[in-house]
Amino acid sequence: MDAFRIFIVEDDMLYGEMLRHHLALNPDNEVHLYNNGEECLKNLYREPSMVSLDYSLPDMSGLDVMRRIKKEHPEIPVIIVSGQEDISTAVTLLREGAYDYFVKDDDVKDRLWNVIKKIRENLQLRSEISYLKEEIGRKYEFRNVIKGNSPSIKQIFSLIEKSIKTNISVSITGETGTGKELVAKAIHYNSNRAKKPFVAVNVSAVPRELIESEMFGHEKGSFTGATTRKIGKFEQAIGGTIFLDEVAEMDLNMQTKLLRVIQERELTRVGGNDLIKIDVRLIVATNRILSDEVKKGNFREDLYYRLLGLPIELPPLRYRGNDIILLAKYFVDEFCQENKMKKLSITESAQQKLMKYHFPGNVRELRAIIELAAVLTDTDKVDESHISFNSVDAAGNLLMEENTLAEYTRQIITYYLQKYNNNVLLVAKKLDIGKSTIYRMIKEKQIIT
Amino acid sequence: MSTKLKSYHLDKLIAFVGDDPDAIKNMVGIFLHTTPELLETINESYKQKQPEQMAKAAHSLKPTLDVFGVDSVYDVIRKIEQKAKNATLDDELAGLINTLNGVLETVFEQLKKAFVN
Ligand SMILES: Nc1ncnc2c1ncn2[C@@H]1O[C@H](COP(=O)(O)OP(=O)(O)OP(=O)(O)O)[C@@H](O)[C@H]1O
Ligand SMILES: [Mg+2]
Repeated sequence: MDAFRIFIVEDDMLYGEMLRHHLALNPDNEVHLYNNGEECLKNLYREPSMVSLDYSLPDMSGLDVMRRIKKEHPEIPVIIVSGQEDISTAVTLLREGAYDYFVKDDDVKDRLWNVIKKIRENLQLRSEISYLKEEIGRKYEFRNVIKGNSPSIKQIFSLIEKSIKTNISVSITGETGTGKELVAKAIHYNSNRAKKPFVAVNVSAVPRELIESEMFGHEKGSFTGATTRKIGKFEQAIGGTIFLDEVAEMDLNMQTKLLRVIQERELTRVGGNDLIKIDVRLIVATNRILSDEVKKGNFREDLYYRLLGLPIELPPLRYRGNDIILLAKYFVDEFCQENKMKKLSITESAQQKLMKYHFPGNVRELRAIIELAAVLTDTDKVDESHISFNSVDAAGNLLMEENTLAEYTRQIITYYLQKYNNNVLLVAKKLDIGKSTIYRMIKEKQIIT
Repeated sequence: MSTKLKSYHLDKLIAFVGDDPDAIKNMVGIFLHTTPELLETINESYKQKQPEQMAKAAHSLKPTLDVFGVDSVYDVIRKIEQKAKNATLDDELAGLINTLNGVLETVFEQLKKAFVN
């Protein structure tokens, strides 16, 4: 615990000195003595743990001083010490938030001593509680942000937990919209770097000729257009975490420079000479398979191994089972809350429709679908008619369900008939099947046109 | 004079600041610096008939005298404060102030002898 800082505000020099001396007998106390209210208020920035205030001060009343302390720092306990017993003043002061009120008599030092003990204990308790809360936050916060209950996401949680405990580099892979950035932030904000910056660079969004200066900064005049010194993302992230998103898009030249910075843990700004020490945690993400890019020669193998660290592979939403519904409910609640709408439920048939879809855009797509559905409904329910998929990837959708070959055939033919305006001849040709097969299925009402 | 008993005792002060000679000396120094001023204010305000000022000074003096164990004026200083508050500047008050002057003079002397070499 920090020093227990006590302010004594007392215009009676002797009494003030006595109190100061008395309270300083406990070496954990740091005692400051002020002779008037103004002095005390001027020093509030020191954040006293408590204030012992004489009621009658030369420049203002103890009540006024207390009010001003309470206005800025309602949490600081203020004890009023007065020269005389006066019940009505005492009541007023206590009502206005004084921690205690007592008279300068023989007991004052004992009473003060006891009150201070009590305040210290409370303070200790409070800091223990906030420490516990912090601990709990540390452990569970990311579970409040990253929703999911499926075994596959639980595995991700345990990896996140591991990555939080150390500074190991983390490489996150996963299809678009699976939550790579969300995971990167969760790791940073649950790690011991949480209070330092999280800096994200989307590699694919920065023009190739500017990426080096974006990442490492540049000195004034280092190239045309460099009119001032620029501090790069790595430097901004010192003490914290840098998140290199879409790292697979980095060109080979830049990869070499990045490798050197990671290995040396220092960089020079473009056009500069100074070596700048860099303590940053590295998290990278890509929706490509980096090892494939290495094989193709698009990514340096040595950098790949440097970046790999703890790999986290985010599963596509379609493999997360019931998380689809869990997330849908979460997004619909969130949307209603944000838009001050009354709560919406998702009907069973709507849920089934969602479960059958393959979500090529993953969680991001689910969110968009749900938000649209919440806007479309006129009741307090989202049902299947409000849920529309505009995915172009129909084949993926088809394979979501396990079906017999006959059922697949039926669905494929139905899809093509819709696409080609029920032109049976054209569909038969496209699918390379006999037109009579299609006619038969229509006749048997296997296919509804 | 020399056989006179001590008009003060430092039990309370020691209880307050601890058995620390330097601290005690420091407090005595402050006492010798501030108390005569307050006493002077009481005397002056009686002459000038300014009971408010007197009440204030008496009010400040009260805890100080308690701490320095000037027990013989325990009641005196309280009566002075009360009378000043009620603005009854009568002969009785004059007598009380007189007593206070006498006792404190002795206390100052004794303290100086004991602490200021
Ligand atoms: N498990 C989850 N719980 C709650 N929200 C999620 C979850 N996963 C993703 N999201 C949300 O889905 C959206 C997409 O997530 P994010 O941007 O992290 O995906 P990404 O993998 O980085 O996508 P891209 O590859 O396209 O950059 C965000 O709004 C994010 O908050
Ligand atoms: Mg992303």
